Amino acid sequence: MRGMTMYERLWCRLAVVACLAVAGSAAPASVGAQDQIPGVSLGLVYTGSYLPALAVQPFTGRFGGSGLAPQVETIVGDDLRYSDRFEIINDLPGGFVRDEVDYALWDRLGAVWLVTGTLEGAGDGYVLLLELHDVVYGEVRERGRFTVPDPSDADYRMSVHRASDEIVRWATGDPGMSASRIAFTMRGFRDTDSLTYNEVYLIDSDGENLVRLTDFEDALESPSWSPDGSKLAYSSWKSGYPRIYEMNVDTRVERMLPPVRGAGDYITPTYSPDGRTLAFSVLGSDSRSGIFTYDFDGDCCLAYLSGGPWYDLSPTYSPDGRWMAFNTLRFGDAVPQVMLMPAEGGQAETLSPYAYGNGGYFTSPDWSPLGDLVAFHGAIERGRYHILVADLADNGRVLRQLTSEGNNEDPSWAPDGRHLVFVGERNWGYGLFVVDVTTGRVRAILAGRRVGVPDWSPALLPR
Amino acid sequence: MIVRRFVVPVLAAILVAGACGGDPPPPPPPPPAGPDMDSLRAYQDSVRAAEEARRRAEAEAAARRAAEAERARAVAAARTTLEAMVFFDYDMSAIRDDAAALLRQKVAILRASPQVRLRIEGHADERGSTEYNLALGNRRAEAVRQFLTGFGLAENRFEIVSFGEGRPLQQGSNEASWARNRRGQFVITAGATAINPAQ
Repeated sequence: MRGMTMYERLWCRLAVVACLAVAGSAAPASVGAQDQIPGVSLGLVYTGSYLPALAVQPFTGRFGGSGLAPQVETIVGDDLRYSDRFEIINDLPGGFVRDEVDYALWDRLGAVWLVTGTLEGAGDGYVLLLELHDVVYGEVRERGRFTVPDPSDADYRMSVHRASDEIVRWATGDPGMSASRIAFTMRGFRDTDSLTYNEVYLIDSDGENLVRLTDFEDALESPSWSPDGSKLAYSSWKSGYPRIYEMNVDTRVERMLPPVRGAGDYITPTYSPDGRTLAFSVLGSDSRSGIFTYDFDGDCCLAYLSGGPWYDLSPTYSPDGRWMAFNTLRFGDAVPQVMLMPAEGGQAETLSPYAYGNGGYFTSPDWSPLGDLVAFHGAIERGRYHILVADLADNGRVLRQLTSEGNNEDPSWAPDGRHLVFVGERNWGYGLFVVDVTTGRVRAILAGRRVGVPDWSPALLPR
Repeated sequence: MIVRRFVVPVLAAILVAGACGGDPPPPPPPPPAGPDMDSLRAYQDSVRAAEEARRRAEAEAAARRAAEAERARAVAAARTTLEAMVFFDYDMSAIRDDAAALLRQKVAILRASPQVRLRIEGHADERGSTEYNLALGNRRAEAVRQFLTGFGLAENRFEIVSFGEGRPLQQGSNEASWARNRRGQFVITAGATAINPAQ
């Protein structure tokens, strides 16, 4: 009964969203028949997936863990809510819940899953004991022990996030994404010459723990995580021209990759999934512009993949490392398109729905870590940008539009292959937003700052 | 002048004094000697000549100063023209007519100033993807370089760099700001002291 109600409620919400989408797309008079792309349907189409209800029972503490238990419980509860895989039951009246697990009570409240936790003091830190209960069967489905350092430790929140991700895996079999960080740029202002600049910042997946990584006071773009989450590659202008650098996130030791091509703008780096290759773009080079790869093992062997008198940029690898999606300006200035090609170069095909003379604007591709989807953003009407996903199963002919408000750019996949972080521009300013591709839920994780080019890290393991 | 005004009255006074009184007239003073008058004139002439030379030199110096100032003004104007920005249409790297007129002025100056080298910086407005805007900025800088080299200027006199949307000239999310930010900027990287105005 409870499940039916949830299902109906979800459908009501989807219906409202769909109506808004129709109203939104019908309103601008400038969108004429010729602006429509033949054979492509755009829309806010969400699977009406049923979300099971999950309750988090207040965590208890032992051996000096009681003080911190409520905070750990809050982090876990928020992580599970942000996973967008459950309807979270947490607004229970005080004194309602006893220490003993009462399956009948949780069943009456509509819960399918119940999480209980105990935080125990252990040495300098803590151990978090978690149990996932199947309320319907009235039994413990999974249990685990997680080491949590003292809150003064830099890894404290991340260690709790890792426990949350394990709960997601227990309940769904899929990876979570809360033990991860997002790298992005934030704009600063240089007083000496009134020029703007960018620094790399990091923020945890739940919007906490904002830290600045660089201090160059110069132009900088496109931070990109290494597959093990230990390094970031980016393009910095501090030598006067954009060159690719790589920085260790912990030690902040930086090195410049050798500019073996000579003159040109070295931009948009991305690591291959095995971490052995860096792909990037050289623009306006003396000879050929386009996408190149750099071999870390040999510290050499620059390979030229694609390009020519046109511009190819923003490469992104498929998770098996065999394919590459990238952005191209080969059809003209105002009609950038997303194309696919083998990772070692070769024949490229358009993924975005290019139609000659009516090409549309599609940029900033990012290939899902699950391999099935490529996200990018596009101008649905001139000057308005929205986040889109193309399903490779149907050659991208059906684009799903994930945003409907303001302007939205530069999507990047979470390690769960289900969430995207992007830059949103609203009437109050810019911010970092996260959208769940399945439910369409959107939340802001950093609002009111001039942010850009976010890149979501892989799942971060204990260091 | 002073000399002549003084000498004539003195001579007259001497003559008048000699015609009066009963005393035997003293021997008349020797008439003013010819050589004396000549040297006086020569003196006067040399003064005049020096005066004229000084005046001529002053006039020449003034003319030179004026010419130098004029040239400095022309060089400064040439430098301003070299550094003047060109602007682009939304999402386009094509050279607009107003930009082409300005670039032709730059060509004339660059031809007269062979030592001058330029860095051409391409910029984009904030709309659209950050990375696409890097490419668009590079395309704009490249379009400017090709326009300039199309007039026979050597390719190696120009370097290009894109800043994408990262260095706006004017803050603000409106068409006025965007129009200012879609631009090509010019930085003189060599020969800044060897700029010659267009011939």
